[in-house]
Amino acid sequence: MLIIFFLEKDLPEEQRISVEKRLKESSLVNNVRYVSTEQALVRFKQNFPELQGVIENIEINPFPASFETNLAEENLSPETILRFIQVMKDMDGIEDAQFNRDWVERMESLSRLAQAIGLFLGGILALASFFIISNVIRLNVFARRDEIEILRLVGGTNLYIRVPFILEGVILGILGGAVSLALLFLLVKFFPLYLGASLGALNDIINFRYLSLTQISLLIAGSVIIGLLGSLSSLARFLRV
Amino acid sequence: MIELYHVWKQYQAPKWALSDITLHVKKGDFTFVTGPSGSGKTTLLKLIFREILPTQGQIVIDNRNILRIPDHRIYRLRRRMGIVFQDFRLLFQKKVFENVAVVLQVLGIPRKEVRRRVFNALRMVNLHHKMWEYPSQLSYGEQQRVAIARAVVSNPKILLADEPTGNLDPELATEIMSVFKEINRQGATVIVCTHDRELIRHFGDIILFLFKGKLIKKEKF
Repeated sequence: MLIIFFLEKDLPEEQRISVEKRLKESSLVNNVRYVSTEQALVRFKQNFPELQGVIENIEINPFPASFETNLAEENLSPETILRFIQVMKDMDGIEDAQFNRDWVERMESLSRLAQAIGLFLGGILALASFFIISNVIRLNVFARRDEIEILRLVGGTNLYIRVPFILEGVILGILGGAVSLALLFLLVKFFPLYLGASLGALNDIINFRYLSLTQISLLIAGSVIIGLLGSLSSLARFLRV
Repeated sequence: MIELYHVWKQYQAPKWALSDITLHVKKGDFTFVTGPSGSGKTTLLKLIFREILPTQGQIVIDNRNILRIPDHRIYRLRRRMGIVFQDFRLLFQKKVFENVAVVLQVLGIPRKEVRRRVFNALRMVNLHHKMWEYPSQLSYGEQQRVAIARAVVSNPKILLADEPTGNLDPELATEIMSVFKEINRQGATVIVCTHDRELIRHFGDIILFLFKGKLIKKEKF
């Protein structure tokens, strides 16, 4: 994505260099090209030869100097891009920035929609896992009724009797999380290959990317909690000691 | 040690399984409870280890009213008891060793110690050679002996046994009773339900006669 930062008129050389340095230092930026006022004028004349007369009538060069900046990653979030632009605009020496605002905004709403759908589906699936784990534990409690009964009669504490079931729920949760991570990995890896060129222009917009480490740990932590809650709810109802 | 005060138990109206039982079993007593089937022997034992609650009356063990113990503390009472159930209550999917070891495992006793004590308990009932078999591979009498080993393995302060010799031949029954006597000598209070007159004649100190839920006679030798 291209962003053009227009510089203030008659910007001193050292300030221009500091702006350039700042742009180049940013991790978002792939490359920076300086376009001087003269170059901008030449470019205008080339692009709009029929308007040449207009320009020649003006004594001064009306075109500001600018930095044309290409962003490094296609899949930066709209917020990140907007924040970057804002920071740069606040810098001394930069007059304005031009970019495809429409596109950024459309992407922003699209990603918000995707997020909402994801949260909704995730919530339903989490609830489903909770009930499945809770039922598995319940079946296990029923299957091992005799054993539980004997443990009680020989003086097993509540904790002693319950811990195996709780562990089972937690392990089920972790397994479920791990399997879903593996499936997601395969999906991210092979789905784009499968779709290939048929995705066309969408390829630029939708970027298949695996979860970050934080997201992975959150998912595993979530599955542990779901497993724990699932078994606890079952034990509370069916294992009154 | 074990005191019952005017205990009544009704499973289903209008019949009373036990009516107005008051009795005291002193620490270190060896007590037989006898009476015809359905006279309330098993009910009496179940009340003592609080598997069931009385309809009326109070039960005090070690100066504590066991009816007032909250459910999650019952394990403390049960850990002081060894119980031989009439129906054995063995785990058929577990080996003989594991069936006996479970009592010590809930106490958190180290594995090595568990092995030693389980072996000794099984040797007392002459089953140590079948330690690694499943209860289903054993005869009825052998299963009963596993249940006895499980009851005595933790050296309980109170030993309750419901027809512990019902399926054993007289010789073995005598042997088992000697095991109980030994535990009794070590200080445990023992209550045995049986209708085996022979055994009572041999081993009885105190005999309680139950008939239709009533305590009709108490004999002391």
